Parts: sequence; C-alpha cells; structure tokens
Amino acid sequence: MSTPSQPNQNPAMHLPPGLSPFKALFFGALLCLLQATQAGDFWDLPPAPPPDEYGNLLIDRTSSKSAVKPVAFSHWIHRRKFTCRVCHYELEFNMKQNTTEITEAGNRSGKFCGTSGCHDGKVVFGHDTANCEQCHNGNRGYQKERFSELSKLPKARFGNQVDWGKALSRGLLSPVKYLALKPDPNVSFKAILLLESEWTGIPPAVFPHRPHTWQLDCSNCHPDLFNIKKKTTQHFSMQANLNGEFCGVCHSHVAFPMADCKRCHPEMDN
Amino acid sequence: MKKLWLVLIALLLATGLSLAQNGVKKIRPAPQNYGKVVLNRYSEAARLAPVIYDHWLHRAKYTCRLCHVDLGFAMAANQTDIRAADNLNGNYCGSCHNGKSSFEGQKIFAACEAKTPPQDTATKQRCVRCHAQGQGVTPQNDFAAFTEKFHRVRFGNGVDWMQTESAGLVKLIDRLDGVSAKGKPFLNPVDSTIAPHTNGMPDIVFSHDKHAVWNGCELCHPDLFPSVEKNKAHSYSMNEIFDGKYCGACHGKVSFPMIECQKCHSKPVTP
Repeated sequence: MSTPSQPNQNPAMHLPPGLSPFKALFFGALLCLLQATQAGDFWDLPPAPPPDEYGNLLIDRTSSKSAVKPVAFSHWIHRRKFTCRVCHYELEFNMKQNTTEITEAGNRSGKFCGTSGCHDGKVVFGHDTANCEQCHNGNRGYQKERFSELSKLPKARFGNQVDWGKALSRGLLSPVKYLALKPDPNVSFKAILLLESEWTGIPPAVFPHRPHTWQLDCSNCHPDLFNIKKKTTQHFSMQANLNGEFCGVCHSHVAFPMADCKRCHPEMDN
Repeated sequence: MKKLWLVLIALLLATGLSLAQNGVKKIRPAPQNYGKVVLNRYSEAARLAPVIYDHWLHRAKYTCRLCHVDLGFAMAANQTDIRAADNLNGNYCGSCHNGKSSFEGQKIFAACEAKTPPQDTATKQRCVRCHAQGQGVTPQNDFAAFTEKFHRVRFGNGVDWMQTESAGLVKLIDRLDGVSAKGKPFLNPVDSTIAPHTNGMPDIVFSHDKHAVWNGCELCHPDLFPSVEKNKAHSYSMNEIFDGKYCGACHGKVSFPMIECQKCHSKPVTP
C-alpha cells in the first residue's frame, strides 16, 4: 500500500485510479472468499455439544471479575420443572447469556435465581456461602451424572436427545407454568403457519403455535423476534436463524437444534 | 488507496449490520430506567450534557395530562422545542422549576437560569442536576427508596401506578394555577369492549375511568384516537400500537409495557 499508485497500464480493464490489476485481483479473490464462506455457512451448523451439555451455559458477567468462578447453568435440569416462560418472562431473564443484571444482592433479596419458590434457601439451596460451588463452579458439565434421570423420556436425534415436546404432550413432565403471573387461559391462539422456504426444492416449514405457547408467553416472541404483520417479517432467513436470530434465539441453543431439519420442514428426508 | 479499502470494508460491515436488525430480542430496561428520557435537542450543541428526565419521579406527583396537555410537552423525546429561554420565561420545565413554586412545602429548584450556557464551574455544577447524562450525578431521590411503599407489579417500573394512586399513596396534581383551564372535569364515558382482529385473542376491555385519572380526555382525544363518534369504530391494529401509535404512545414507554397481553385482552371471548 506504500507504493505510489501506478498509471493505469491497461485501459480495457477500466480500473478506478489507484487500483492496480494485482490489487483488483486480490480484492476480487477476497470477495469470492467472503461469498464462499457465507454460502458455506448455510450448511455450517453450529457445533453440537454432547447431549448432557446441550443448553448448558457458563454465566460470567461479573463472576470472574469478582474472583469467583463462572456460574454453570443447565437448561435441562431446570426445564423439567419449569416452563421457559417462568424464567424468561416472569423472572425477566434475557435470552442472551451475560446480558441479565443478575447480582448477588439481587439473588439474596429474592430476584432472579433467588426468587421465592426457587433458590430462596427454603425450596432449593439459596445464595449462601455453603453453596457457592453449586453454581459458581465454572464447570459446563456440572451434574452430568444426573442426565440419566432423563433416560425414560422420548428420544430425539439431536440436542439433549430428548423430545421435550413429546415428553410434555404425553404428560411425562409437568413443569410449573407460572409463579405469580398466571397465563391467561382465554388466550387460545392455535394458528398453524406454513412458511414457504427461500429455496426451490426445500419443502415449507410448518410452525404450530401450540407447542410454543405451552412453554412461552406471547411476548417472549412478539413483537421483538417476530412482528405480527403477515408476511412482512424482514430478513427471516435460514441464515438469520443460524446466526441466532428469529427461531435461532432458542433453537440450536436450548430448544432442538436446526440440524433436525425434519422437525420444521416435515417433508424433508433428513 | 487505504481510504477505498476502508470504505469497502465499512460497506460490507454495514450490510451485515442492517441484516441483523430483526429477529433479536430487545433487552428490557431495569425498573428505575423504565420511562427514562434523554433530551438532547440543543444540549450538546450548547456544550451541556443531555438532560435526563425520569418519568417515575414526576408521575408520582403530577398527572400526565398536566405536562403533556397544559404545558405542551410532546409525546416523544426531543420533539418539544425546549430552550433555556423557554424555561426562563416560565414555560415547559420552567412552569414549575422556576425557583418560586413549591411542592409539599419544598421549594422546587429553578431550571435554566440564563439564556446562554454558563462559563464558570459553580453554575455548571448546578446545570448537571438536569443535564446529567454521563455526569455521574447521584440523583436526590433514590428509586428504590422512593417507590418502596408503592404497590408492586412485575414489569415496567415494577410499580402498579394505578393501585398506588387509588390507594392514596401518591396524590397527583392535575392543574396548575395560571396555566391550566379552570372548570369541572367531564364525566367519564363507560368502559368499552373492543373485539380484536385475531381469532383466539380475548376481547379488550378499555376503562375510561382508569385512564382519565392521569390523562383527562384531551391527552388522547382527538389526536391519538380521533373516533369519538359512537358506532364509528376506527380500526387500529396491534402492529401500529407496537410501532408507538394509539395505545403505544404511552404503553411500552412510560405506562405498563405490552408484555402482559391479558392486562388489556381481559375479557373471555364470547363463543
């Protein structure tokens, strides 16, 4: 870049002044490379952790800075007993790791993890010195040995290898649906949506509201993730899902991963 | 040459970012920050920090109507053309923050004291009481202590303002001498039931009574809701409300957020 710009030697190439053919070629190659990685991403599914670590998080917003180990949180331990709604709606846990302002003082005063009926020191161990290591252990696979408790639940191919939806609909699990804010029994939104896929040859995705409303509140998805305008959700593509937007906020993190094509695109072979 | 590369890289990044604007969950403000407004229409241009306005502190003392109707504050941040001179002349903030008025026996501090930004540090110190953005000012009223005795709800400020008001824990001033029109308030019309567009959603029950305590008639009619004629229902959608129109002018910003559907969709659907 330090060489003075050469006069354009080949007028047929119509290069902008200052851009030598070599640089143009290099830049073109770079663009192609970028394109290639983007196209490759379509099939580059996120790495699959072992089933007993799927949905496990290490929360470290302030822990390490405060010289304690990050918190290990396992979704599969909690989702057996509580619906997503309880924590992500009533208790206002954000959907992204390390963005919720969970503090020791908050937990001790009955907020977040320490909410009454949860880790309040009565129902389950609380935020006290004797129990630090129960959460602050920095071990993503903490309590792996308890994973066998899920062995009787219906099987799935990916994620925790548990079909959580079936487990619920067969009554094998009956997670608590609320702590204080009871879901409105009159909201009976059951619409099943058919989403044409972006590519020809890929069968449409089918979205049933019911299995989602068993677990979630309307406002968990609307209007932030999906506005409710018909056919106007912008940039709702498979790529966006894979980037952790739209369906990808939950699917591939906690809910069944997108490697399980068939569960949304039922007519696919995989 | 370097510039060209930078521009191209910036373009690539910008495209990436513009694609990432949908499908992401917004992070909710903490209770003390719900309804916080940052005003920066002229502040930074006048080398002052932007103004931080907390709704929770003011709405515990005055009705919405008083500021948004009588004093002429717009419903969106930075839309009101407030200048130091206006405050000095007793308009906008200066209607109360004039150094003379008092609230519960306490003198209300004066807003802007001069038309031009102050040069000396002592006066600048006084300015940061409102021009507080990024100034590390400890507010005189602590949110947690101030709202401690109020009725609680889960979302928004975590305060059930309606209950708090009807229990007499806050006493709202609705009219200001020399500013507000005198006269008897109108009788509130009855509750209305509104049928939603979508099957499976319960009907909406709208209480005029509950709204009128804070808003009177004029905050909503005729600007936000022009159709006050009977049997002439104006159709408005949840989409428009989410975009900040109609109910969304307040709900989701200052009044309770649109998180609990059943707070408005509260009537069982008649089969």
